[in-house]
Amino acid sequence: MSAVTVMTSKDEMKAAGAKPVSRDESARLGFRLTLPAQILVLFISAFPLLMQLYISVTDWSPLSGTGWWNAWSMWNSFANYTDLAVDTRFWSALKRTAIVMIVCVPAEFLLGLALATLFADDFPGKRVFYSILLMPMMVVPAVAGYMFFMLFQSGGPVNDILSALTGSPVTIAWLSDPTLALIAVMVADIWQWTPLMFLILLAGLVGVPEDQIKAATLLGANPWQRFVTIVLPKMKTIIIIALAIRVIENFKIFDTLYIMTGGGPGVATETISVYIYKLTTQDLIWGYVAAIALAILIVLSIVAVFAMKRMARAREVAA
Amino acid sequence: MSAIHLQNLVKKFGDFTALKTMDLAIADGEFMALLGPSGCGKSTTMNMIAGMEEPTGGKILFGERDMAGVPMGRRGVGFVFQNYAIFTHMTVRQNLAYGPKMRGAAKAEIDRRVGAIAETLQLSPLLDRKADRLSVNILQRVAIGRSAIMEPAIFLLDEPLSNVDAAFRAVMRTELKQLQRQFRQTMVYVTHDQLEAMTMADRIAVMDHGVLQQVGTPLEVYNDPANVFVARFIGAPGMNLLKGRPAESDRGLVVDLGPLGFTPPLPGELATAMRGARGEVLYGFRPEQATLVQNGQGLAMPVTFVERIGARTIVHLGQGEAAVKTVFDNDVGLAIGDTAVIAPTASSVRVFDAATGLAMKAG
Repeated sequence: MSAVTVMTSKDEMKAAGAKPVSRDESARLGFRLTLPAQILVLFISAFPLLMQLYISVTDWSPLSGTGWWNAWSMWNSFANYTDLAVDTRFWSALKRTAIVMIVCVPAEFLLGLALATLFADDFPGKRVFYSILLMPMMVVPAVAGYMFFMLFQSGGPVNDILSALTGSPVTIAWLSDPTLALIAVMVADIWQWTPLMFLILLAGLVGVPEDQIKAATLLGANPWQRFVTIVLPKMKTIIIIALAIRVIENFKIFDTLYIMTGGGPGVATETISVYIYKLTTQDLIWGYVAAIALAILIVLSIVAVFAMKRMARAREVAA
Repeated sequence: MSAIHLQNLVKKFGDFTALKTMDLAIADGEFMALLGPSGCGKSTTMNMIAGMEEPTGGKILFGERDMAGVPMGRRGVGFVFQNYAIFTHMTVRQNLAYGPKMRGAAKAEIDRRVGAIAETLQLSPLLDRKADRLSVNILQRVAIGRSAIMEPAIFLLDEPLSNVDAAFRAVMRTELKQLQRQFRQTMVYVTHDQLEAMTMADRIAVMDHGVLQQVGTPLEVYNDPANVFVARFIGAPGMNLLKGRPAESDRGLVVDLGPLGFTPPLPGELATAMRGARGEVLYGFRPEQATLVQNGQGLAMPVTFVERIGARTIVHLGQGEAAVKTVFDNDVGLAIGDTAVIAPTASSVRVFDAATGLAMKAG
């Protein structure tokens, strides 16, 4: 098919008497052809970033009565950043976000890996379980939020099940207890995002060369040794990708959590995203919000760059 | 004891029978090639010996010991995979050390054994190289070394040369044969390439459609094929087979080939074997063992194609059922359309029963 296409285009060029293009010329043509896309990228990424940077050094708010482009008149000489350094609510939100991440991502990873290992072999009903397993990922996070909100009510199914198991009535107020609310929120996140981890890791697992596993078996390696010495090293790249995706996504945890607890009780489940959301919609101090968002962007970019570097190195090793 | 006995070995995959009651005895230290076209059951047999697949029926004995239920890691079998299955994320050293390490050998012991095996296989300078960018003959040595370090009594090789280009194959064949002499293990070598089987094996087991056709030394299999399949499969090109009926002539027993006329008289022993046979037979002779005769007794056939391949010339004669190939060491000056009269060397003639496909032999 492609051979045919190449021939036709060559024939056409011959017919039109086209001369071969020089390298410079073709580079210029390429630039002109991709110009619309470049402008688009500029508008959706570079422009907002610069705008954010600009606002972050001012006291501008939508209530200032002037357009954002006039924010320079409200220049506050980096006060937003110095405020941020001593904002205890920000730091505790950051700490909470980190705790959620440290619990959720490894839990999702380990569960996903266990499930992927299970699904790499055949067992009866595999296809049905497979479909069921992927469903949480497809539920709209807001809907998942309502689901878990109702599950964790004091008269809700979670307590009903606990009552049935213990034999005495359980009425835990999950979402009004600071610690339990955080746990409930993490359970919801793990429920929703383990399938993604599972899916990515399964793809990696089936890509491990089977004959190398057989070779290891013949050399006397037991299943655990095979897993540690062959399977995990071969999956390194994909594990890094999966973890990076979930670390970045989990750091931004918002919708499910906000619907379940609204960041409460008090600020007990207030993560960075929830804090930013409140500052944006309730306090309306957009200059400060821009500063926080920028700081987080920098942190996440460092994570992403690190992950990508590791990936590039892993690929080099694997190639 | 590292002799292998396969007794009534059967393997079925659902309705498909991959191997039909196979009996084979492989002696201690023997190099046995399992040879056959793809799908003949040779790899299945090998996988069962290694323990990767459980037989549906029959027994596998290593020496006196029944291998039923013994997991593959415990059989003391070295296995070289078709693509070597080298652990590409490790160094050569880590590959070689893998077996002893998994079995919890002490570090000093591992180092000593890796050093020794690397010395034997001339891998010492490469020990700390990553295993992902090695040439194919090095990969083969690493694969053999990785198994050999476990000192297996039995070595199984699954078409190890099939991914290697033709020029290099000759080198690898020699190397492999030398390695076997060095290690003196029982080797079972699966291949579809008769050249590999003929050059390396002590004995060849020819298989087809899950049935063992013949077991013998390379020359036995070549000279005295047990049946039509082996006759056609071994040799390049395979044996010529012409349909005919036994007939008496004034010079002794001959085969009446119909339009081609009578064959030259059959040698005494073969004539004895065929006494009383009245059904259709296949008259067989090797392409290399026919001579051109000028005016004598022979088979006159039209030349349909001439292949000149340097040292040898392959002449195609006749068409359809009555087609044969002959191989000459020099250019015999025949062209398409000529009529050649050929006479098979009497001692090389073999006759097969057309109904059963079996070779007719005295006694």
